[in-house]
Amino acid sequence: MNNGQLRQFLALVRREVLEHPSLFIGAPAILGALLAIGSLWVLSMLPSEEIALGVEYLSILFDGLSPLQMAPMFMLLAVPFIIVLFVCGIVYLLNTLFQDRKDGSVLFWQSMPVSNLSTVLAKVVTLGAVVPVFYIATLFVLYIFTTIQLTILGFNYGVEVAGLGYMLGAAVVSLLLVYLSALAGTLWLLPSIGWILLFSAFARRTPLLWAIGVFILFGFLEDFVFGSQFLANWVESRSDPSRYLITEFSSILSRFFNYEMLFGVLVGAILIAGAVYMRRFID
Amino acid sequence: MDKLKRLVLKNRFTVLVATLAVYMSVLVVEGALTGREARVVDFDNPFFDLSVDLEQLENLRQNREGGRQSLRD
Repeated sequence: MNNGQLRQFLALVRREVLEHPSLFIGAPAILGALLAIGSLWVLSMLPSEEIALGVEYLSILFDGLSPLQMAPMFMLLAVPFIIVLFVCGIVYLLNTLFQDRKDGSVLFWQSMPVSNLSTVLAKVVTLGAVVPVFYIATLFVLYIFTTIQLTILGFNYGVEVAGLGYMLGAAVVSLLLVYLSALAGTLWLLPSIGWILLFSAFARRTPLLWAIGVFILFGFLEDFVFGSQFLANWVESRSDPSRYLITEFSSILSRFFNYEMLFGVLVGAILIAGAVYMRRFID
Repeated sequence: MDKLKRLVLKNRFTVLVATLAVYMSVLVVEGALTGREARVVDFDNPFFDLSVDLEQLENLRQNREGGRQSLRD
């Protein structure tokens, strides 16, 4: 990929972000705001002695501990963001190629010197590598907000707050783990991404029903005709989040480079190739 | 090869069928080679054993009928 192609690809990624600001920026921002307001509300309900005790406990708990060791603990706080990212990702994948045909913008993009492969790959890269950055940025702001809030409370109640710096360090390191988990999750779920993209490119209406309906039909036919359940077993084998969540730095390589991950990428590539070829048929 | 490509790229349905055929073939071949087990519809119950004794079932039915009869009376 030369410099011009790289710039073209980055422009396609930028276009995806600009076309879906509510899914990629609005959703995590709203979730972050709700969590911040929720934490303020909870703090306002608690008696001051309990708040002072809580801040002191947190400060002592994290004081002097390595952020690398404590980082996995903070991944739990990212769970609501991961769920929202998952839901927004499905909505995006279902609509992206379908909407391009519906509003006719596919005609414009096909008149440009941009290949269907670049367009579809830009969508996958946007979802897998770029969108998590917005979610993580929101989490970062939330962690900073919470630390400042706890520090102010600590000063108010005369509590030692040095340990909160270690806590923030661990929280920031956990963001790297969350990002790596999002990358690994995208690769692990590439068959599902490819499946949804294929039906987003195929369906004249209701791509969701097509994607679910054909999957159920294939599963039923396979079981009924051949008596086997390879499709259902395949989906079951990909549905365990513990296979792609990275909770420690020592497991990064084994998460990305193992047989099942690479085979999933191959299967996903088949379906994405189908979506690329499908894009040449315009309603 | 060109003929096959033209056939596959004839319309959206041929592309869909070809993609799904390749997808399923790869899955089935890999599943058969690696011996992936059929686990999805195994309704194993780890909590208790359900043993249906026909004699007990008949007793239960009679008890319930007796109860209903007494309620009617």
